[in-house]
Amino acid sequence: MSGWGKYIVAALLVAVVTHIVAIFAVPNVLMNVALQRLGGGHYNAWHLGDRVTAASRTIVRPSPDFAYSACPYDLATGPVRIHVAPWNDYWSLSLYANNSDNYYVLDDREARNGVDVLLIRAGSAPPDHETATIVPSPSERGVALIRRLAPTPDTYAAAAQVSHTDVCAGAAR
Amino acid sequence: MLRQILAWIVAIAAGLALGGASAWAALTVGVSGFSAHYGAWSLNRAAGSTAAGPYTRAIIARYGLLALSSREALYFNLERDEHGQPLSESCIYDLAGRDLATRWWSVTLYARDSYLARNDDHAASVDSSRVSAGDDGLWRARISSVQGNSVNWLSSRNARRGFSLTLRVYNPQRDFAPSEDALPKLTTVSCASPS
Repeated sequence: MSGWGKYIVAALLVAVVTHIVAIFAVPNVLMNVALQRLGGGHYNAWHLGDRVTAASRTIVRPSPDFAYSACPYDLATGPVRIHVAPWNDYWSLSLYANNSDNYYVLDDREARNGVDVLLIRAGSAPPDHETATIVPSPSERGVALIRRLAPTPDTYAAAAQVSHTDVCAGAAR
Repeated sequence: MLRQILAWIVAIAAGLALGGASAWAALTVGVSGFSAHYGAWSLNRAAGSTAAGPYTRAIIARYGLLALSSREALYFNLERDEHGQPLSESCIYDLAGRDLATRWWSVTLYARDSYLARNDDHAASVDSSRVSAGDDGLWRARISSVQGNSVNWLSSRNARRGFSLTLRVYNPQRDFAPSEDALPKLTTVSCASPS
């Protein structure tokens, strides 16, 4: 190969590799950015978001009608225990893998009195005599998100109060 | 020699740019395959889905990150008026609809950057708990930069041109069937003429 041919072939090869790498990287990169923004680099603890206002710039298209609590979780040192306190209107617990898959959702229609979940790594054996709902996570890291319907300042304040009794912590603690 | 080195650098840089741009374009074009249209509203079916392949997963991450699955919530977007024009702060719109077969719904206004418009009006959304239908069975909301005498108001102040609305439908009932007639209808009331 001579002249400009080898440079054009090289450019096309680099383009194909870059395209493939970018497509595979996008979900994990965006999730990692979200985990960082939601938890500030801290794992296995709830972070209650401020009431969504015009100044909220953490996640695109936030709803001002919800109180959001996020727990970026890490199962590297074992299962993580999640407790969601009940709320007197719509609430849901949703779990996302580190590739952004929403692999689990539960709302107040199914758990009127709140819920206890034990998150384990997919493929690992669940502990004996566990009373919590056992949910296998497809990835070691991910994020748990609670949405509580709270469209007014007063309901947001009440939801914030309730959220203090939520738990997200390593099960060994 | 120097010329050859420069040529290799240019080739690699061109490849990186081409690969990145083509990946971005694939996601931008590919998302249309995840949209269903009902009049002016489009339903983002990527939101909350689980992926079947690398392109699908990348599209979901870009356009539906941390959204809920369709079993839990549906997300409809509206970006243009009944004439096909981008929504603009300089216009006044009416949004009217019937009660939806769902547990709860809301309509939220987002500026072009997909965040709430930068104003302190605290009127970024209306929801089913705060609006009520009139004698004709329709609820109504005004979309404008000032509230005026409207009861249900979505503030477009500082949203400029190209803002959008998102209709969230939570816990849709089994018989909820989105259609142009069932979803709220946007009507342009007036637009300020360009000065």
